[in-house]
Amino acid sequence: MADYQAPLRDMRFVLNEVFDAPALWASLPKVAENVDPDTADAILEEAGKITSGVLAPLNREGDEQGTQWNNGEVTSPEGFKEAYQTIVEGGWNGLGGNPEFGGMGMPKTLVAQFEEMMQGANMAFGLAPMLTAGACLALDAHGSQELKEKYLPNMYSGVWSGAMDLTEPHAGTDLGIIRTKAEPNSDGSFNVTGTKIFITWGEHDMAENIIHLVLAKLPDAPKGPKGISLFLVPKFMVNEDGSLGERNSFSCGSIEKKMGIKGSATCVMNFDGAKGWLVGEENKGLAAMFTMMNYERLGVGIQGIGAAEASLQSAREYALDRIQSRAPTGAQQPEKAADPILVHPDVRRMLLTMKSYVEGGRTFSTYVAQWLDISKYAEDDERRKHAEGMVALLTPVAKAFLTDRGLDACIIGQQVFGGHGFIREWGQEQLVRDCRITQIYEGTNGIQALDLMGRKVVGSQGKLYELFANDVAAFIEENSGDQNLRPYLEPLAAAFERLSDVTEHVIKQAGDNPNAVGAASVDYLDLFGLTALGYMWAKIVKAAAPKAEGDTSGFYTGKLKTARFYFDRLLPKTVSLAEGIRSGSESMMALTAEEF
Amino acid sequence: MPDYKAPLRDIKFVMTELLDSEQHYANLEGAEDATPDMVDAIIQEGAKFCEQVLSPLNQVGDREGCTWSEDGVKTPTGFKEAYQQYVEGGWPSMTADPNYGGQGLPSSLGLVMSEMVGTCNWSFGMYPGLSHGATNTIEEHGTEEQKQTYLTKLISGEWTGTMCLTEPHCGSDLGTLRTKAEPNADGTYAITGTKIFISAGEHDMAENIVHIVLARLPGAPEGTKGISLFIVPKNLPNEDGSSGERNAVSCGSIEHKMGIHGNATCVMNFDGAKGWLIGPENKGLNCMFTFMNVARIGTAIQGLGAAELGFQGSLTYAKDRLAMRSLSGPKNPEGIADPIIVHPDVRRMLLTQKAVAEGARALIYLTAQQADVVQRGKTEEERKAADEALGFLTPIAKAFLTEIGYEAANLGMQVFGGHGFIAEWGMEQNVRDARIGMIYEGTTGIQALDLLGRKVLMTQGESLKGFTKQVHVFCKENADNDQLKEFLEPLAAINKEWGDLTMKIGMTAMKNREEVGAASVDYLMYSGYAVFAYLWARMAKVALDKMADGTTEEMFYNAKVQTARFYFKRMLPRAKAHAESMLAGADSLMDMPEEAFAL
Repeated sequence: MADYQAPLRDMRFVLNEVFDAPALWASLPKVAENVDPDTADAILEEAGKITSGVLAPLNREGDEQGTQWNNGEVTSPEGFKEAYQTIVEGGWNGLGGNPEFGGMGMPKTLVAQFEEMMQGANMAFGLAPMLTAGACLALDAHGSQELKEKYLPNMYSGVWSGAMDLTEPHAGTDLGIIRTKAEPNSDGSFNVTGTKIFITWGEHDMAENIIHLVLAKLPDAPKGPKGISLFLVPKFMVNEDGSLGERNSFSCGSIEKKMGIKGSATCVMNFDGAKGWLVGEENKGLAAMFTMMNYERLGVGIQGIGAAEASLQSAREYALDRIQSRAPTGAQQPEKAADPILVHPDVRRMLLTMKSYVEGGRTFSTYVAQWLDISKYAEDDERRKHAEGMVALLTPVAKAFLTDRGLDACIIGQQVFGGHGFIREWGQEQLVRDCRITQIYEGTNGIQALDLMGRKVVGSQGKLYELFANDVAAFIEENSGDQNLRPYLEPLAAAFERLSDVTEHVIKQAGDNPNAVGAASVDYLDLFGLTALGYMWAKIVKAAAPKAEGDTSGFYTGKLKTARFYFDRLLPKTVSLAEGIRSGSESMMALTAEEF
Repeated sequence: MPDYKAPLRDIKFVMTELLDSEQHYANLEGAEDATPDMVDAIIQEGAKFCEQVLSPLNQVGDREGCTWSEDGVKTPTGFKEAYQQYVEGGWPSMTADPNYGGQGLPSSLGLVMSEMVGTCNWSFGMYPGLSHGATNTIEEHGTEEQKQTYLTKLISGEWTGTMCLTEPHCGSDLGTLRTKAEPNADGTYAITGTKIFISAGEHDMAENIVHIVLARLPGAPEGTKGISLFIVPKNLPNEDGSSGERNAVSCGSIEHKMGIHGNATCVMNFDGAKGWLIGPENKGLNCMFTFMNVARIGTAIQGLGAAELGFQGSLTYAKDRLAMRSLSGPKNPEGIADPIIVHPDVRRMLLTQKAVAEGARALIYLTAQQADVVQRGKTEEERKAADEALGFLTPIAKAFLTEIGYEAANLGMQVFGGHGFIAEWGMEQNVRDARIGMIYEGTTGIQALDLLGRKVLMTQGESLKGFTKQVHVFCKENADNDQLKEFLEPLAAINKEWGDLTMKIGMTAMKNREEVGAASVDYLMYSGYAVFAYLWARMAKVALDKMADGTTEEMFYNAKVQTARFYFKRMLPRAKAHAESMLAGADSLMDMPEEAFAL
C-alpha cells in the first residue's frame, strides 16, 4: 500500500490553471474578504500535511478495529480521538463556515480540495467533519439567531460534532412516511420520540457534544413530505452560559456491522422524548434539508474521487514494482526476472482509466464547486440565479457519476494487484468496500438519476439543461480555431450533440409515458457524466497544451496523453448509452411481479 | 440473508429445452447412466442438500472465517459436518472414473451440482472444487500406482486436494517460479519452497490433503518449459492405503481477505517435503492445461452464482419493501407506499440480474456440454470440434461471467439501499465473495489475452468462425419467423461485425504486437455480449415455440421472451462501446511515459 500523498500538484493545476479560481474569488467580494491566492495555497499545503501525515496512517487500522459499542457508548478506533483533536486545533471543521459564528468563510472551490484529501486519506474518519459541516450549513441557513449563536461556534470549531438523522427502519428514500414524532412543550421546545437508523457518527467519543438534526412530524402535520419538520436535538443540554448540562433522553441502541467505512459508527438512535428545538419553519423540514443537500451531495461525489485517488496511488506504485512476464515487444528490463507489469498494454489501460476518472472527476467537482460559490456569494442577481440553475442540474451528476466512476476506479485499482488485491493488508480491497457506500447514501444513485432527469431536466422542460448546453457550446465555439484543441473538440461536439438529442427525446417521451423517466434515468445520468467529463478533459487540454512544449516535468504532456486516452477509449460508451435509452421503457415494465 | 432456492425450473429449461440434454447424453460414450430420470433425481437431491445443509452455513462461514493455529486450520462451525454429509451423499465421486470408485457421470451434470453448491455457499464449494483439480490431474497423468493410492481417496472424498501454483513473486507469470524438487535415492523428490494463495491448503474436514505442486527439477530449463508437477500429500500414505506420518509441509498462515472467509487461503511451506513426480519432467504446465478448461468453467460458475443469489435476495426485497408511489398511480393503495418493484429503475436492476443469471446458466451449460464431448465424444472428429469450441468459449465464460456476475451482485445490493451495506442481509457478502472471481484462475486480463491472442488470432480466426457459423445457421433457419425478427436482426448484425472487428485487429496486430493487449479486454467483453445475444435469441425461440404449441406455463415462457427483449434493448448496445474502444489502437496506451503515470 502506498502512503497516501495529497495530490497537491494536480489540485493547484485545476484551481489555478484550468479554472483561474483566484479570479473567481476576487469577483466575489464576500469571498475576497477571506481568501487570496497565498492564503489558499497555504491552506492546501497544510491540508496536505494533516491528511497525509495524520489521517492516512489511521486508515487501515481503523478498518481492522472498527468502532465498538458498549451499553450506549461508542469507542472510535485507536488514534481517531487524537486525530480529531488535531482537526479541531487546525480549525478544519469550520473551513467553509460562516465567519459571523466563527467559521473561516472559505469558498467551496477550496474546501472541496480539502474534502478530497480528507476522504482519500481516511473516509471513515472524514465522515465526522463532513456530517458536522452539513449540519452547520442547515443550521446556518434556517436556524434562529439564538440557536446559531448557541451551537454554531462550537460546531465550527469541532468541539461539538454534528449528525443528520433522517432514515428510519421503514423509510429511507421515501422520507414522506417517517414516524418520529415531535410534541410541543410549553417552553417552546419539543419532545422528540422515535427510532432513526443509519446515523453516521451518531454517537462517539471524539467530541464533547453531538448535535443531531432530526426530521420528525408535529402532531396533526400533513401526511407525506409536506408534514416534516427539522429539529435540533443535542446529546447534552447546553446551559445558558454555554457549558454542558444534563444528558438528553436519547441514546445509541446499537451500531451496524457493515461492508466498509468500519472506522465510522453507523448508529441506531433511539429518541425517547428527547428535548429538541425547531429549526426553520414548521413542516418545512425537508425544504430546509435541501439547502445543505447540494453541498453534501457534491461532498459524497468527492468521496468517490478521494478513494479512487488513493487506489490509483497504490496501483501505479505496484505496477512499477511488481515484475511479471515480458513486454509483448521484447524484454524491457532484461537484467530482471521479468518486466514491471506497467509495460503490459492492459495494465496501462487500467491505470489510464483510473487516471482519467480521477483527474477528470477532480476537475468536474471543482467546476461544480465554482457554481456553488457563485450561487452563494455573487451579488448580481442574474449571475446568482444562473449559478443556482447550474448547481441544481449538476449536483446529482456530481454525486452519482463521481461515485460510480470512483468505485469503478477502486475496483480496477484492486485488479491491478491481481490476487494481492483481494488481501486486506494491501488496502485496495478496503477502498472498494469503503467506496461502495457512496453509491447508496445521501440519496442512492438511482434517486440522483431521477432527480436529474425527472425534476431537473424534464421538470424545467429543458431550461436547466440549456444552461449547461450553452456553456459547452460557448467553449467549443470560442476554441474552434485552436489547433491544439481541434482533435478533442470534434469528439466532444459529437458526444455533446448526442446528449442534447437524447435530452430532447426523453423530454418528449416523458409527456406521454410516466415510466419513461425512470426507465432512462440511470443511463441518462451516465451519458451526461461521461459527456461532462469530456468537456472537463477538453478544458484540461486547453490549460495544458500551451505548456506542453518543452515540458520537461512530463506533467503537461501526461495530461494531453490521458485526455487522448479518455476520448479514444472511454467516451465511446456514450454511443451505447444513447442507444439503450432510446429503446424506451417497454422492455422494463412488461414483466409482472410474479413473472420475475 | 436470502434463503437459497435452487432454480430447478430454469435449470430444466436450459438443460432439456434449450440444450436437449437427453439427446446429448445419449450421444456420449459411457454415459448410459445419465438417463432423464436419473439426471432429474440427482438434481432434486442436490438441490435439497444445498438448500437445507449448505445455504444456512453461508453467513456463518463469512462471520467466523477460518482460524489458524500451530495445529492447523479450523473451518467455520458446521462446515466439517456438512462435508461429511457431502461425502456420504457420494457427491465427490459423481463424475469420476468408475475404475477408482467414481460414478462416471458426465462433467456437465457435475457442473449443475457445482452451480447449486457454489451459489448457496461458494466458500464451502471451493473445498470439493479444488479436489476436482487434483483428481483430474491424477486421472489424466498419474501412474496406476498413484491412481490406486490417491485417486480412490480423492474420489470418495475421504481426502481432499489442492493446486499449489502461485508463489509470492509470481502469479500470472509462472515461468519464474522457484520451488525446487530434488531427487531422492528412492525415486521420490524433496520439495522445498513457499506457495501462496492455496485455497483449502489446510483444514480440518478430511483426514488427508493431496497437494499438486508445481516445482523445478535441478538443471531444468528456465521459464515455463522447466516446470514439473508433483504429488505432495500432507500425510504420507501407508502400505495399506491409510494416511500415515506427517510430511514436511505445513500451513504458515492464512490470509485476511475481502471475502470467501469460509475458505482457508493458505501460505504453504514445503520444507523438503516428500513428493512424487506426476507426468513427464518439465511438462508440468502442459499437464495442467489438459483440464484447465473444466477448472475455468468451475470458476465461471461463480459469476452465475453471484448473479443468481443477488437476484433471489433482491427480488424478495423488492416485492416486500414499500417506498414511494408508482409513477402511473398507486399500485398498493391500502399500504403506506408501493413495493419498490413498481419503479422502472428497480426493474432495470432486477432485469439486468435476471438476464445475467439466466444467460450465464445457458453459457455454462453449453460450454459444459462441449467438455462432455471432448471427454466422451464417439468420434475423433466430434472430440476435436468440441475441443476447439471449448477452448474458444472457456475464457469468455470465465472472464465475462465473473465480470457481469459481479456487476449483478452489486445491483442486488443496490436494490436494498442502505440495508445492502449491512452485513446481516447477506448482499454485501455476496459482492465481497464474488470479487475474487475476476482475479483467480487467470485474471480477466489474462483470459482476454488467451481469447484474442491464443484462441482467435493464433488459429487465424478459425475458432471464432466455428462459433459464428453456428449463429449464422441459426439466423438463417429462422429467417421466416416474424416473432424472432426483433432478436435475429441485431444478432446477425453483431455476428457479422464480430468477424470484421477480428479481421481489423488481426491486421493491426501483425504490425504492432501491443495491439493484442490493447484490444483484448474490450474484445473479450464484446464477445461475451455477442455470445449472450445468440443464447438469448435461442432461449426466446424455445419460449415462443412453447407458447405457440400451447402451455400451462405461459408466465414462465413469457418472462423468458421479455427478458430476452430487455437484454437486446438495454444490454447488447454496450457492445458498441467496446467495439469503438478496441479499435482505438495501442498508441494512447503505450505513449505515456512511465513517470507520467505518477504525475
